[in-house]
Order: sequence, then C-alpha cells, then structure tokens
Amino acid sequence: MLDELEGFYRANLAELRRVATAIAGDRELGCDAVQEAFARAVRKRRSFRGTGTLEAWVWRIVVNAARDARRRRPDLAEPAEPSANGHAPVIPLDLLTERQREIVFLHYYADLDYASIAEALAISKGTVGATLNAARRTLRAALEEVSS
Amino acid sequence: MNELEVLDEYVPLRGETPEWDEVLRRARRRRSPRLLVAVVVALAVFGGAPALAVVLLHNGKPGLPSGADRSNVAIMLQPQTGRIVLEVAPWKGHDGFCYFAYFNRSGCVPRSNQTVVTAPPIFGWTFDPRVAEATATTFGGKHVQLLVRRFSGRINATFFFEAQRYALLRNIVLRDRHGHVIVRLRKSAR
Repeated sequence: MLDELEGFYRANLAELRRVATAIAGDRELGCDAVQEAFARAVRKRRSFRGTGTLEAWVWRIVVNAARDARRRRPDLAEPAEPSANGHAPVIPLDLLTERQREIVFLHYYADLDYASIAEALAISKGTVGATLNAARRTLRAALEEVSS
Repeated sequence: MNELEVLDEYVPLRGETPEWDEVLRRARRRRSPRLLVAVVVALAVFGGAPALAVVLLHNGKPGLPSGADRSNVAIMLQPQTGRIVLEVAPWKGHDGFCYFAYFNRSGCVPRSNQTVVTAPPIFGWTFDPRVAEATATTFGGKHVQLLVRRFSGRINATFFFEAQRYALLRNIVLRDRHGHVIVRLRKSAR
C-alpha cells in the first residue's frame, strides 16, 4: 500500500499540485496541501477499504487538504486594480461556484473521468456532468463577453 | 482565449520535484499534535468554554524561541479551524515567557504588570486572572469594547492580535472586575 501511494504521488505530482494550488488559491499552500494530504494518506492507509479506487480515495484527501489550506489562508485579498475603463478585471473562474471550480480543476488539470471525480468529491456522476456543463457555459459566456 | 487557455494560465503546468521523504516525515511527526487538536476542539465545543489553553508536554514544533521551556507549553487553538494561533512557554532562566504567535511573530519577554503583547488589537486572549474586560480608543476617538478570552496558566500576560485593516486603535485599557485599571497601553499611529 505504501508503495502504491508513493508510486501514485511520483507519477501524478504535477497534476496533484496543480489541482491543489487551484483550489487553495496559492501555489505554496497548494504544494503544502499535497504533502499534508499524502502524509494523511500514509497514516490512514489501513482505513482504505478498497470499495473504490485508490486514486479517487487519494484525490478526496488532496481536495480536502486544499480546502483546509484555503480556509486557513490569511485574508490577503486586495481590491483588484481597476483597468483602463474603470472596472476591476474579471477572472472568468471567479464566476464559478466552489463545486464547479473543483470539478473543472479535477477534470482539466488531473484529467479525471466523471466516475473518479464523483468518487473524489462524494457526489453522483450525474451531478458531475451537469455541474461541468454549467461551468463550461458560464466560462464560455464570460469569455465571449470579454472578447466582444 | 478559450476555457483551456484560461485554465492553463490560471495554474501553469510545471516540472515538479517529488519530496516523498518529507511526506513520510510528516506522517510520523503529526500524529500527536492531531490528537491534541482533536481533544482541544472537542473540549471547546462540548465544554461550553470559549476556547482553552492546555499545558502539556510538547514535541518541539518549530516556532518557539530556543529560550522557551518546551516541557511546559500552553497552546491556544482557534476552535473552528483547529489551527494553533499561539504557543506560550516559560522563559528558561528568566522571570518571563516566550511566545510564538500565528504568522511567525515570536519572542521572549520579561514578566511584568505591564506585559501586553500587541500590535493593533482586535481580539485578545489573556492568561492574567485579574483581567475582566478590555476597552480601546480608536484614532478617530471612538471607544470600543474588545473581546477578551481568559485562559488558565502561569503567565500574567494578555495577547492581542492584529489584522492590518483593523490597525485603528490608539490605546487599550485592561480592567479588573472592580473596574480598576490594570494596564493602560498606548500606541502611536503608523
């Protein structure tokens, strides 16, 4: 089990850190969350019952660690600098809900299929599909607005 | 720009260096503090206390200055998150204490009646059994009541923590239950 965890960590580190960074909102916190998540996984490895995949089990721990990191993050948010037209610039991802963002990150950054995302986030596959579609619509609409 | 480009720009893909040994170190190291957090949060939730300090043997988490007596460390946790916000320990060989506060503020200070560790205060914790209430005056002249939580412990000190955006307070007054002033602290505008 420890070997499998290490193998998964080494093979997917870039994706793990990318997702955790996106959820935590900070590269350093994201990397720390991955380390912390795998430390948890190592400690709790005997509680993995094999009812789902090891991959999804680990992803769930990583997502939870990244959420924890984001909650503990100091409130460093500064008001965005207004652009030339006097409006603060809008990052399209900010328009998504927390769940939409997590699903988008797991799908695009980690290349997880719907079933794995559903297992990692403890939701149904149908919810994953519907949420991902809604997120894509929101992103596309925002990008079209920006480009027009 | 399409959605994939937005995502690529948001968190760019980069080469990563594995740190598996550090994972294993964390897995070994974090066992006892996790137990502590669980106990303290449970007590904070079920005990009806606002939060609490616990004096216990501690395993030398980085942060406290080297002069701290690590065999007798009080740890204060934020009940909602379980995050350690303050560690305090007696100062070895001195009549005073050492502290390590959230965001890496640390030091050792002699004990005195005037011991208040602060930068502009918004929320305080006190180990001083005399303190019953705290008030402050803003730079605008407004009087405000400060929230103070009291803990048991051998350290006669009161801690306040700042948030930059609340750096508005000009002075703090700590009073005992009879309304007598224990400490009057003034700070200059920054």
